[in-house]
Amino acid sequence: MKLSDIMAHAGLAGYAEVALVLFLFAFALIVWWVLRPSHAAEFQRASRLPLDDEMSPQPGGPRAGSRS
Amino acid sequence: MTGPGANAAARSPGGAALLDEFSYDDDVVRKFLFASVAWGIVGMLVGLVIALQMADPRFNFGLPFTSFGRLRPLHTNAVIFAFAGNAFFTGCYYSTQRLVKARMFSDALSRIHFWGWQLIIVAAALTLPFGYTQAKEYAELEWPIDIAIAVVWVVFAVNFIGTLVKRRERHLYVALWFYLASIVTVALLHIFNNLSMPAGWLKSYSIYAGVQDAFMQWWYGHNAVAFFLTTPFLGLMYYFMPKAAEGPVFSYRLSILHFWSLVFLYIWAGPHHLHYTALPEWASTVGMLFSVMLWAPSWGGMINGLLTLRGGWAKVVDDPILKFFVVGITAYGMSTFEGPMLSIKSVNALAHYTDWIIAHVHTGALGWNGFLAAGMVYWLLPRLFQAPLYSKRLAELHFWIATFGILLYVVAIYSAGVTQGLMWRAFDETGRLSYPDFVETVARLVPMYWTRVLGGSLYLAGMLVFMYNIVMTWRRRPAVYEVPVVRAAPLARAAAPEPEDGHRLGGVFPLRLHRTWERMPVTFTVLVLVAVVVASLFEVIPTFLIKSNVPTIASVKPYTPLELYGRDMYIREGCFNCHSQMVRPLRYETERYGEYSKPGESVYEHPFLWGSRRIGPDLAREGGKYPNLWHVRHFANPRELAAKSIMPGYAQFATNAIDWEVIPGRIRAMAMIGVPYGPAVTDAVPMARRQAALIAADIEKAGGPGGLADREVVAIVAYLQRLGQDIRGTAAAAATPAGAAGAGAPAGGATPAGATPAGATTPAPARGGR
Repeated sequence: MKLSDIMAHAGLAGYAEVALVLFLFAFALIVWWVLRPSHAAEFQRASRLPLDDEMSPQPGGPRAGSRS
Repeated sequence: MTGPGANAAARSPGGAALLDEFSYDDDVVRKFLFASVAWGIVGMLVGLVIALQMADPRFNFGLPFTSFGRLRPLHTNAVIFAFAGNAFFTGCYYSTQRLVKARMFSDALSRIHFWGWQLIIVAAALTLPFGYTQAKEYAELEWPIDIAIAVVWVVFAVNFIGTLVKRRERHLYVALWFYLASIVTVALLHIFNNLSMPAGWLKSYSIYAGVQDAFMQWWYGHNAVAFFLTTPFLGLMYYFMPKAAEGPVFSYRLSILHFWSLVFLYIWAGPHHLHYTALPEWASTVGMLFSVMLWAPSWGGMINGLLTLRGGWAKVVDDPILKFFVVGITAYGMSTFEGPMLSIKSVNALAHYTDWIIAHVHTGALGWNGFLAAGMVYWLLPRLFQAPLYSKRLAELHFWIATFGILLYVVAIYSAGVTQGLMWRAFDETGRLSYPDFVETVARLVPMYWTRVLGGSLYLAGMLVFMYNIVMTWRRRPAVYEVPVVRAAPLARAAAPEPEDGHRLGGVFPLRLHRTWERMPVTFTVLVLVAVVVASLFEVIPTFLIKSNVPTIASVKPYTPLELYGRDMYIREGCFNCHSQMVRPLRYETERYGEYSKPGESVYEHPFLWGSRRIGPDLAREGGKYPNLWHVRHFANPRELAAKSIMPGYAQFATNAIDWEVIPGRIRAMAMIGVPYGPAVTDAVPMARRQAALIAADIEKAGGPGGLADREVVAIVAYLQRLGQDIRGTAAAAATPAGAAGAGAPAGGATPAGATPAGATTPAPARGGR
């Protein structure tokens, strides 16, 4: 008996629904995690990361590099 | 691992002793930038050539390697992997280093990634026009190149994840999430879709067949759009849009929801490319539902991108960078509204196989990817070349001609798609097809194809202006680039100490990731993988393992060696780019082509050749429609038999000799992946020669040229005459082509005595698979 025969008789009709429930649960978990008030300050800071990334002090001054 | 100018512990006076001193590697960013725009021009130029070929077939130039079927994959691969790929790497290398306050993990790996990727593109350009293809859309490249892609991708992944691990910023900004998910998922998609059995250095057969192969291909194909053209560019949007707007993203929370929703939903959506085909109906429905759900996060992301401009809309007026971003993000919104709409079965029934899909794709590629890349590059130019942009006016010009070009392109091609879709399904008052001659539905589109040529030319002209502006800005660069020194505190010193043992990855790898923040990229990778793999398995496994999903049909037999050779020619010439082999169970399809296609018909189809576009008619029921001689003449000059045809001529088929030597190897490869060839494995060449002689004799008898028994044309005729014969159930039916009475044509389905693969000698009379 091949694996496909076993699978054919395994009664997997509810298979996709299980995935749907799992994924919905995971999604709900993420929404809860994202919307937690305790994350507000962290997200506020994180959202500014692209704007802050070139503001580092450069006490060493520029270094010469290659021309390409 | 470090490179020149890389990290060095700062031991400068004062409190700075706690700071690391390092610089960013912008050299590789500059390289990727040039590569992206240069390949973009090449890819779009090839696009313009194939657009011309559809407007006037003379632009095929009568050469094998410039025909539409061979150039079309070159266009798609160049634009997706060379233009968009290099654009993503440009932005990714620039932003990642800055977001994590660290130089790339390894300069050497960065260079291997860059040069490796360009070599792969060159390899694509050197193989696709010569007919070396796996026949799977956006995965056409043959197996040695596939291995090279996997290796270079792993190099990129190691370099990227290594950079995240050694970062100096605890939080991973959301753009990095998008990059990481893209890298991980593309690796998975690429490897599993390209599993194939080599039959020579540049020839292979997909290990999957028929329905399974179609499923894998569009699981890959759709997610190539998702994880190569969408999520990486969303990462770029979340970094460069705030930069250009000079303010943070509208909602960081929304960006996280955007990310996870896409990761969870996208992977399911592939089957919407296969509506009404022989794919099991449940899979098609799942694909549709998840595609419709994708609308919500996609628009959430679009709104998030656009609202980042809040309070700054006035700046759009005279900032070409913002103009590109705003139109690019709007195009993302339009494409991601249209995508879910097209995935609805009833809409798809009209749009599938038509130019509507081509228009949809180009809204995304030209608008979203093209404009986002342009905006990003214009923003980067002064920073990378340390000189002011050469001309803002030229940037504005680029924007306007490209925008106008997109509009001309998509309006024409949407019209073409809807026109052809409606013509295919039109019935007259007597209940017969209004346009029974397929070529009528193509000839009607020619004016729209010329409009597309105009639109595409404008877009390409915009790219040339773009390149000119880049080169002129580059020429203003300083004699020596300044490499600013950046100082930042290492996280290791800031973090709370954890047990020295830490975690030893897999207990094997020497890399010790001691702290939570060090483990985060790995944990994150695992989470994304779990989401993607679980979804894939839930969707894909049933088609592989549940028998009822692909009912077998007793009368369906493997191709004869000669037919297989002909099929390989069909693949080599890229015929699947214009001809589908999948009759949908819709009345206007069965009226035009015949019995609708069944899953069981494709069980020996390695790879499947169902196609995705009909520029020519479907060929699933082609066998026996015309005499052999008709095909010979049609290949020599299609317009001799159908004046309005836009098909390239293949006169060389009548002069090219069949390469008998390759046949045994190909039969063996097919047998190794489960095609029951039996004695044909050892007797392939004599079988092929016998069948070729029969067909050649018939052609000559019907008044055609003689001496074709060892010419390629008999092989492809054998293949075409076989198509759709098995489902008719009997050898007699297969041997007598309908409409070819009197021609005495031994069609391909009529396997010559003694030339039949094992098990094919007595085709069962039963029709199956309804």
